[in-house]
Amino acid sequence: MKIGLFIPCYIDAFYPNAGIATLELLEKLGQDVEYPMDQTCCGQPMANSGCNSDAAAAEALFVRNFAKYDAIVMPSGSCTHHVRDNFDAIPQTEDVKHVRKNTYELVEFLHDILKVDAFPWAEFPHKVGLHNSCGTLRALRTASMSELGEPFFSKPMDLLSKVKGITFATPKRPDECCGFGGTFSVTEEAISARMGLDKVRDHHNAGAEYIVSADTSCMMHQQGCAERNGVPIRFIHIAEILNGARA
Amino acid sequence: MSSRDTILATLRANRPDPAAHPLPPVAMLGDMDKGRDRFENSLQILGGQILMPQEGDTLATAIARRFPDAKVICSAVPDFEGTIRIEEIESPQQAAATDVLVVRSPFGIAEMGSIYLSEAQLNNLNSAAHLTQHIVVILSEENLTANMHTAYLERPEFHTANYGVLMSGPSATADIQGVLIRGAQGVRSLSIWWE
Amino acid sequence: MKVKPVNHAKAAEEFLEDAPHLTFHDERLWDMRQKRDQQMHLLPEWQDLRTRASEIKEHTLANLPEYLEQFEANAKKNGIHVHWAADGAEHNRIVGEILEKHGAKSLIKSKSMVTEECDMRAYLEPRGVTVTETDLGERIQQLDDQLPSHIVVPAVHKLVPDVAKIFAKNYHTDPNDNDPQSLAEAQRMAARPVILTADAGMTGGNFLVAETGTFVVCTNEGNADLSSTVPNLHIATLGIERLVPRMADLGVFVRLLSRSALGSPITQYTTHFRGPQKGGEMHIVLVDNGRSTRLGMEEFWTSLKCIRCGACMNTCPVYRRSGGLSYGAVYSGPIGAIIDPTFNERKYSTLPFASTMNGSCTNVCPVKINIHEQLYKWRRVLAEHHELPFVKREIMHMAGKLMGQPKLYRTAINGTEVALSTMPRFVLYNWLNPWGKHRELPHPVKQTFHSWYKQNRLKKDKAQ
Repeated sequence: MKIGLFIPCYIDAFYPNAGIATLELLEKLGQDVEYPMDQTCCGQPMANSGCNSDAAAAEALFVRNFAKYDAIVMPSGSCTHHVRDNFDAIPQTEDVKHVRKNTYELVEFLHDILKVDAFPWAEFPHKVGLHNSCGTLRALRTASMSELGEPFFSKPMDLLSKVKGITFATPKRPDECCGFGGTFSVTEEAISARMGLDKVRDHHNAGAEYIVSADTSCMMHQQGCAERNGVPIRFIHIAEILNGARA
Repeated sequence: MSSRDTILATLRANRPDPAAHPLPPVAMLGDMDKGRDRFENSLQILGGQILMPQEGDTLATAIARRFPDAKVICSAVPDFEGTIRIEEIESPQQAAATDVLVVRSPFGIAEMGSIYLSEAQLNNLNSAAHLTQHIVVILSEENLTANMHTAYLERPEFHTANYGVLMSGPSATADIQGVLIRGAQGVRSLSIWWE
Repeated sequence: MKVKPVNHAKAAEEFLEDAPHLTFHDERLWDMRQKRDQQMHLLPEWQDLRTRASEIKEHTLANLPEYLEQFEANAKKNGIHVHWAADGAEHNRIVGEILEKHGAKSLIKSKSMVTEECDMRAYLEPRGVTVTETDLGERIQQLDDQLPSHIVVPAVHKLVPDVAKIFAKNYHTDPNDNDPQSLAEAQRMAARPVILTADAGMTGGNFLVAETGTFVVCTNEGNADLSSTVPNLHIATLGIERLVPRMADLGVFVRLLSRSALGSPITQYTTHFRGPQKGGEMHIVLVDNGRSTRLGMEEFWTSLKCIRCGACMNTCPVYRRSGGLSYGAVYSGPIGAIIDPTFNERKYSTLPFASTMNGSCTNVCPVKINIHEQLYKWRRVLAEHHELPFVKREIMHMAGKLMGQPKLYRTAINGTEVALSTMPRFVLYNWLNPWGKHRELPHPVKQTFHSWYKQNRLKKDKAQ
């Protein structure tokens, strides 16, 4: 299986370590991974603003870059959701259909496709609060949703539980949105920042030293809120922990 | 073209395909327990009370004990005296003086602790049930139905009464800073007397 | 004159600044969401109920003309006068005429969102009709000259001292009375004589039953039952979408409504009106006001399934922190954001963007409206109709072009990291950069992933 690695724009620019960890992790697991150099963005910011036709160029480029791979993996739930569920600014050719069908978020790829049952190199002796972005949670269904009263399940927690030394703290509102919401973070800046602050305080009060998430976009926002308000909590991407980061 | 015609015509032009949206069969779901215990638990959750008879109690003595300051006790049932009969009350304005109204309910719903009243139980003076300060409802365990589904399917009153209210405990509100207040604008208390 | 779009963001920012009000509002509504969850956990058939409710409503809407005709025929048979109002203005005229015919000068009413939609009080009052809201929350809002901020708990954005102040002004109670019980009692005492002397009573309604010509009103205070049974004239206003086919279908909806709204199994009063009381007269006004048009919108017609429970508002993290009044509409929160643009696309063009599209609303909706997906679809419609702010449109346009050109994109990205690491703080955090108003910017990095990959891996790959 040949994997094409997509690194979202904000990871590329602000959190390259999450991208590096994703790549190294997949390589450790024996995967054949390539990163097409001409990639830019999946089109989500434009599409989510309603400007679907402005997403077309990005979407077309995405397909040109990734059509040749058996699977496309990305460390972002919201980008995965966009490609699989909303990628319709361009004509739906066979290539487009192939790309949409075979795009995976990292956690679901590890859990459902590779079915990884151990991370022997990983150790993270810290108390963490798991943050599931709304995209991964509600759109990709990587964990159970509190609104539905369904039996508990969590793919990210399954993976993280295999990491030596890790413990979990549960916040009061585990799946309340953190307020990033893409351009919402700028157009409704005050509410967004308040939601982010509430989120990081909730995790901090629950005893978490770190917030771990599969989505850097949420973390970028939460980190900004935590730092501005002096909430002493640290942030790490799930790929980094699974790849062996100790802190 | 009247508004009625315009509205119906627009609906007909715009509606989604009925074939794509069949009517599901009538639902019969949920816990089918129609016992007194279930009713009493549900009643209490919604703020209703049981008027518990003590040794040698009649309804009259129980009411006198529960409502010692009641001056106007209106009876809507033949087997209880009260200080005035509902047949003697001619208007809502007169009914507003009632402290305690005694009625007999044709049925209760165990799931909700609700009792049903219609104009037949109120001598056509529907407002009496809401203007009174307190209401005492005579109810028989045999007349309990399990839940909302069984109630709507079994009880003929829903098809015959002009006014039919399911009362589930006393009136209530939480509109002021979320604080639950029992006794908003309707009855301040609702008590069940089992017969 | 062009209508200005509601500035939700600004109103929300102001709401946030008042800490005690914000904290109460957020925690109170979150608590209602928790109570709803508790009810859900008690009923193993909860998801089954939601599915049934959704199916019954979709079927009804697809057959709405037939069910309305059936309802009307049965209601008339039972002695109810049935009126049809194409829009809010017609509704108000009809109500005004009924009242005038009866010489009615005083009207008591219980809660009806449709009468707010029609702005009925503003029509009746200049015509000499005194309208008194009897629902406590609605009365507070009426006295304060504000719209209800939540469809179930209209004054949820107020604290006890706010209510005390309003009651002191209007009921001459103690302005320092901070006891909700005492204030509620004041409302009871003030309302009772008004109720007893009113010429007419008005209610809204939650459901219309086609099979029997019944309409159902679900309330907690008893004021709807008082408003409808004390005066001899009862007028009820309901939207045409409130129909259900059979009496038995009410079982599904009554079991879902109060549990979803307040987390209580049923409202204190569930009243079934099938005909006028002895010596009385009963009218029902069926209101369209854009609903029949909305039925034809492929992406949005299912919003007509709404039973007005407010669960979406309770769970919405944005609504809880911005307050219903910030939406500038009769219907606020998630449901408001998807139906208000049908009332006025320009004015409410900002509402679908007052959302992170997190999807919690869709999950709590008892009739399974896909609210967050409709928010997404509205954004597209608004962008296509040029209802987005110019700056945003231009940015998205430029971003879209840039994202299609990898070489150009790389140049821009490289600029960012340099800017972040070298610009002084006051430049990065000035008013042009809203991100930085309440948040720190992301940390600058030495090297993008792209650059790292080029350096560390690229020689191993085949040519691109």
